[in-house]
Amino acid sequence: MNTIALVGNPNSGKTTLFNALTGANQHVGNWPGVTVEKKEGQFEFNKKIYNVVDLPGTYSLGAFSEDEIVARDFILKGNPDVVINVVDATNIERNLYLTTQLLEMGAKVIVALNMIDEAEERDIKFDIKTLSQKLGTPVVPTIASKNKGIEDLVKNAISLMDKDVDYKAHISYGENIDSEMERIKGYLVNKDLEYPANWIAIKLLEGDQYVNQVIANNEDLKSSNEFKKVLQEIQDSVNNYDLEIVDKRYEFINNITKKTVFRPSEIVETKTDKIDKILTHKYLGLPIFALIMLIVFQLTFAIGEDVLGEAAASGIEALGGIIENYLISVNSPDWLISFIADGLIGGVGAVVEFIPLIVVLYMLMGILEDSGYMARAAYVMDNIMRALGLQGKTFISMIVGFGCNVPGVMATRTLDNRKDRMIATLINPFMSCGAKLPIYLVFIAAFFPEHGGLVLFSIYFLGILIALLMGKIFSETLFKGESSYFIMELPPYRKPTLRNVLRNMWDNVSGFLKRAGTTIFAVVTILWILARLPLGVEPYSQGSVLGIIGSFIAPIFKPAGFGNWQAAVGLFAGIAAKEAVVATLGMVYAGVEGGVELVNTIQSVFTPLTAVSFMVMTLLYTPCAATIATIKKETNSSKWALFTAVYTFFIAWVMAVLVFQIGSLLGFS
Amino acid sequence: MLKELLVEIKNSNYISKSNIAIKLNKPVELIEDGFQQLIRMGYISEEDNLNSCNSYCGSCPYAKTCNKMPVKTMKITEKGEKLLAN
Repeated sequence: MNTIALVGNPNSGKTTLFNALTGANQHVGNWPGVTVEKKEGQFEFNKKIYNVVDLPGTYSLGAFSEDEIVARDFILKGNPDVVINVVDATNIERNLYLTTQLLEMGAKVIVALNMIDEAEERDIKFDIKTLSQKLGTPVVPTIASKNKGIEDLVKNAISLMDKDVDYKAHISYGENIDSEMERIKGYLVNKDLEYPANWIAIKLLEGDQYVNQVIANNEDLKSSNEFKKVLQEIQDSVNNYDLEIVDKRYEFINNITKKTVFRPSEIVETKTDKIDKILTHKYLGLPIFALIMLIVFQLTFAIGEDVLGEAAASGIEALGGIIENYLISVNSPDWLISFIADGLIGGVGAVVEFIPLIVVLYMLMGILEDSGYMARAAYVMDNIMRALGLQGKTFISMIVGFGCNVPGVMATRTLDNRKDRMIATLINPFMSCGAKLPIYLVFIAAFFPEHGGLVLFSIYFLGILIALLMGKIFSETLFKGESSYFIMELPPYRKPTLRNVLRNMWDNVSGFLKRAGTTIFAVVTILWILARLPLGVEPYSQGSVLGIIGSFIAPIFKPAGFGNWQAAVGLFAGIAAKEAVVATLGMVYAGVEGGVELVNTIQSVFTPLTAVSFMVMTLLYTPCAATIATIKKETNSSKWALFTAVYTFFIAWVMAVLVFQIGSLLGFS
Repeated sequence: MLKELLVEIKNSNYISKSNIAIKLNKPVELIEDGFQQLIRMGYISEEDNLNSCNSYCGSCPYAKTCNKMPVKTMKITEKGEKLLAN
């Protein structure tokens, strides 16, 4: 039975053609020794049965993947009577690369110029006769999806089977390579080889490891020291034969297509490129990024707080009331009522209340991400980082850190050298993670409700600024050396889809809720117990264990303006998890029932200036335990983990003190 | 085409395949193919920024949002730099 092999690029319509040829008469298995799917089928033409093998879709016939090796081995060793090369007519220049490789193999090739209807729709025209002449192989236009041209293709393929034609690509690789090929072929004459000599010569010059191995194991060639010397010379050569060969193939294709393929117009600038001229502009890029982020934060407050915030606060408060009343009605013990009302609803509820803001923020961020803008933001920052002598790619890990510092620190793995990795790791905690949001939101609601967006923007901006500054200091002190250079690829802009935006939002919010339900719960429970010890003490008083711990720490924060034990305990709890700061404040300020009352209490304890100072402290101070553990793991050093914990605390303290002291001197309160 | 492409990559601030296609007067698909060829031959390397967080994410509540930053980066390798220097 004659065999026809189908080969083509992915999405060239190869499988559609296979189905059109074989119908239901096909079966699927695996190629021996690999996990690549093997599809085989039969068809009848003029009362004769033909076997069709659908080879894996591939762009090339190198040794880059199993698919490529399977395809090229079948063509070279499977002895198909004819190879149908399915070429996507809308993308002919790219598809013909595979054709040139088939011709190099000396295979009997027939080109199925598929999807010709789509090419016509795009006004792409072909001189098929000349194309066929220049390729030296038949070219048959087909529309496999509509069953058009299939009969003609089959007739041509069958007639080709009987022709005794010596197929060879008429590609000249240049004088140098052509003569090297002849030199290699000289050693291959009359040797027992699995592959054609011409093809082996090309592949050896291309540095194909698979063919190199085959040749190294060939009994006839093993003993030839002279041949080994030639191979070594090729390997050591300063000539980039591989690149030249590939380039010559493209040149061959270009010479053919420029006379046979006619496109309607020249390539025009895309919308993405036009937009990028503004959004990634050397001078405008950064202000535009800042403006976009400011708008995002303003909208977050306008929608999340003004529209949805009150409803959420009332909801939590009402729920707290219902649960508390129920517990009283069923004569629950006082400790349980206190734990639920003060601990859980006061603590966890104070955090959960800010969910509407978080929902809106992550939806807006999702829109930016899905549209492709966030990649531009990374690029814009990349320019600044480079100007500061930092590895621009660090900003990618910094952006990840805005969600959570743990993956932010992990993302530094993609940086090449130790210097870049260490700097990126040490500055990541300054990126304000999502868990810190409720802290800012409480203080903004208490003191700056009219300027929420601007305050939030300033906090994030300060985090980036300190990170860049510390990065610069580290690069000139602890980690000197060159940064590696990389280039960012910017994806095309696209319309954000509701599905992606909602999914992004839900992933973030559900993560936040899970933390609220687990870590915060655990921290709140411990603190609730500490607030009641020793037994008989007034709960949440300065005499409780919690109060004693807080009072011990509080003096440190006096120069920053918030030297009360409650604030100190809040910051202390934040080292376990940042969400715990608000939860703790909710609890310790007399077991507040819900965020609105927490906001009122905070207004009576803090001033606008100490609120700013406290927010700066929480932005910059020691990262959470999970981040410290990750730093230890990533740097493989307890020393660096401890260093991060201490130096971030120091920076935060200095900044908070500066804010308070300078603010006081300027007359702010 | 490939050396020209490598020069364009070297001289670009960022990679826009459509921009390079205009400069080299080639279809974008061919430029994409050129990138793949350069990667295959080791003149440039494409870096995976999305899979750096692959440990103990299962228990992390933020696992689904971990490293979603859709930025692809490339680097000209030593082999590529050598070619450009010649």
